[in-house]
Amino acid sequence: MHRGMVGVFAELDSTVEAIEELKHRKLGDVTAYSPTPRHELEHAIHPPMSPVRKFTLVGALSGVCFGYWLAIWGSNYWPLVVGGKAISTWIPYTVFGFEVMVMVGALSTVFGMFYLAGIPRLTKTVGYDPRFSSGHYGVWCECAPEQLAEVESILRRHGAVEVRGER
Amino acid sequence: MATLVHPDEPRRPNIASADIQLPAVKDYEQVDREILAILHPTKAWFGGLLIALACLALGIFSWGYQIHQGLGVAGYNPPVMWGVYIITFVFWVGIGHAGTLISAILYLFRAGFRTTIYRAAEAMTVFAVMTAGLFPIIHIGRPWKFFWLIPYPNWRLLWPNFKSPLVWDVFAITTYLTISTTFLFVGLIPDIAVLRDRETNPLRKRILALLSFGWRNSEREWRHFARAYLFLAAFSTPLVLSVHSVVSFDFAMGIVPGWHTTIFPPYFVAGAIFSGFAMVWTIIIPMRRWFGLRHYVTLNHLDASAKMVLFTSLVVGLAYLIEFFIAWYGGVQFEQDYFWNRVFGQWWWAAWIMLTCNMILPLSLFSQKLRRNPTWLWILSIFINIGMWFERFVIVVPSLSHDVEPWQWSTYVPTWVDYGLLIGSFGWFFMWFLLFVRQLPVMALAEIKEIVPPKMKKAHHHHGGH
Repeated sequence: MHRGMVGVFAELDSTVEAIEELKHRKLGDVTAYSPTPRHELEHAIHPPMSPVRKFTLVGALSGVCFGYWLAIWGSNYWPLVVGGKAISTWIPYTVFGFEVMVMVGALSTVFGMFYLAGIPRLTKTVGYDPRFSSGHYGVWCECAPEQLAEVESILRRHGAVEVRGER
Repeated sequence: MATLVHPDEPRRPNIASADIQLPAVKDYEQVDREILAILHPTKAWFGGLLIALACLALGIFSWGYQIHQGLGVAGYNPPVMWGVYIITFVFWVGIGHAGTLISAILYLFRAGFRTTIYRAAEAMTVFAVMTAGLFPIIHIGRPWKFFWLIPYPNWRLLWPNFKSPLVWDVFAITTYLTISTTFLFVGLIPDIAVLRDRETNPLRKRILALLSFGWRNSEREWRHFARAYLFLAAFSTPLVLSVHSVVSFDFAMGIVPGWHTTIFPPYFVAGAIFSGFAMVWTIIIPMRRWFGLRHYVTLNHLDASAKMVLFTSLVVGLAYLIEFFIAWYGGVQFEQDYFWNRVFGQWWWAAWIMLTCNMILPLSLFSQKLRRNPTWLWILSIFINIGMWFERFVIVVPSLSHDVEPWQWSTYVPTWVDYGLLIGSFGWFFMWFLLFVRQLPVMALAEIKEIVPPKMKKAHHHHGGH
C-alpha cells in the first residue's frame, strides 16, 4: 500500500530545496515531477545513470546480425547464379545489416525506455497532480505513517502551494 | 561561441545565441495556452482541409481510372517507363528528410532554432513518407499485387535479389517510416499527457490517457526519456543519410547516361534536406502568421534555417556543376551528349527551371534582409519545391529518353492521370497534416518549456535548459 505526501510547488528552487531536505533526513522514497526535464531536480535526486543504452546495444547487435543473416540465407536458399560472382557478398548486404540494425536498435531503445520508466501505466496512480504537466513542480514522498507529519511540515516550509496526503 | 559586440554598438539580430531565446514567452502556462489554442479549428483550417480533400478526390479518381483502363493511360512511352510516379516518389521521400534532420541531427548539434519547428517537421516527415510509399504501388499498375514488392522468399518464382537497389530501397524506406513515426510518437507522449490533464470531456480524456501511456512527468520518466531520445537521434542521424543514399542507388546502379555516377548519394541527400526545409517553410510560415506564433518561430529561427537552406543549395548547385564537369572530363561520348541534350536540347526547359529554382534564386539568401523576410522565404520555398520536383524529372526522364542507342531515343509527355495523381499526393499529404494540427500539439510543449526560464523563489541568472 502506497502512503505518502504530495506537495505542489510553483518555483523550481523551492522544489529542489524540499527534495534535498527530504533526502537528507532519509524520509522515504522521493519522486519529483516537472513539466519539462530539469537537471536541477536530477541533481537533487541523485539517480543512477539510465541503463537504456544496454537495450540499445543488444537491439542494435541483434538487428545487424539478423539483417546480414536474412540476406545471406535468402541468397543461398534461392541462389541467383551469375558467372564469376559470389552468391552472397557482404558489401551490398551491409545495407540490410545497417537498416535492420537501426530498426531493431531504435525499437528496443523505446522498449527499454518504456520498461524502465514503468509505462504504459494504465491503472490509477497516487502522488500525481495534473498541474505537474503544465506549470507546476511536484514532490511525492512515500513514507511510513509516523513520518507523514514531518514530511508535510518540510513541504510547507519550503513553499508548497498545496500539500495533501494520499494512499 | 558568442560574437563579441561593443557595448555602444546596436546588437546584431543574428548573434550566435539568439536562436535559442524566446523573450516574449514568459512562463510555462503561456506555452500551453498559446500552442494548444491551435487545436481549435478556424475557417482557414476548414478551407484548407476542403481544398486538400478536393485534390485527394482528384487523385483517387485518377488512380481508379488507371486501375480500370490499365497503365497505358499514364504517359509512359518506351523506353521511358519511369515517369511522374517515380519522380513524385523521390520528391516525397526527399521532403521527408528535413523532419529527421531537424529533430535528430540538429538535436545532436544542439541547434536551438529547431525547438519550435521540429514537431511540424517530424509530422511532415511521416506524412511525406506515407505519401511516397503509395507511388511504387501506383507505378506497378496492378496495386493488388503490391506484396510482390516485399522481398521475402516465395514460391512464385520471384526470387528476391538482395543485390538489387530496389530491394535495398524497400528496407530503407520501411525502416525510415518506422523510425520517424516512432520518433514522432515518443516525442509526443509528454505533450499528450498535457492534453490529457487539461481535457474535461471524459471520453477524450480516456483516449488521451491511453495514448500518453500514463505518463506522469516524473524525474524517473524524464531521465529514461532523455536517454532514449538521445539514442533515437543518434540512430536517426545516419539513417537520414542512408535512406536517400539508397534511393539514389536506384539510379546510380543503372548503366544509363546521367545516372551511373558516384556523386549521387551526397547529391541526393543534400537535395532532400534542401527540399525538406523548403516544405517546412511552406507549412510553418503561414502557421506562425495565422495562429499568432511569431514569438515562437522568430525571425532568428527563420534566419538560421535560411542559412541551412543556402548551404544545401550551394551543395546541390556544386553537384550539378560537377555532373557537367565529369561528363566533359570523363570523355565518354554518351555522357557528354546526354548532358548537352539535358541543358540545351530536348529537355532545356526542365533543366533551366531546376537550375533557376535550386541554384540561382536561393543565392538571395546571402542577404540578411531577405533571410529575415518571411514573405520572401515562403515565396522562395514554393520555387524550391517546384525546382526540386523538376530536379527529379530531369534525373529520371532525360536519361531514359536519351539512352546509349540512338534508335531508343524517345520523348515523354505526362497525361492528365499523371497530373491528377501528383495533385492527389499533395491533397493526401496536406489532409493528414491538417488533421494532425487539429488533434495534437504542432510545437513541442515540453521542449519549448526547457528554454523558458523556470519560476524561481530567488532571482537567478538563468542560462536556459541545456
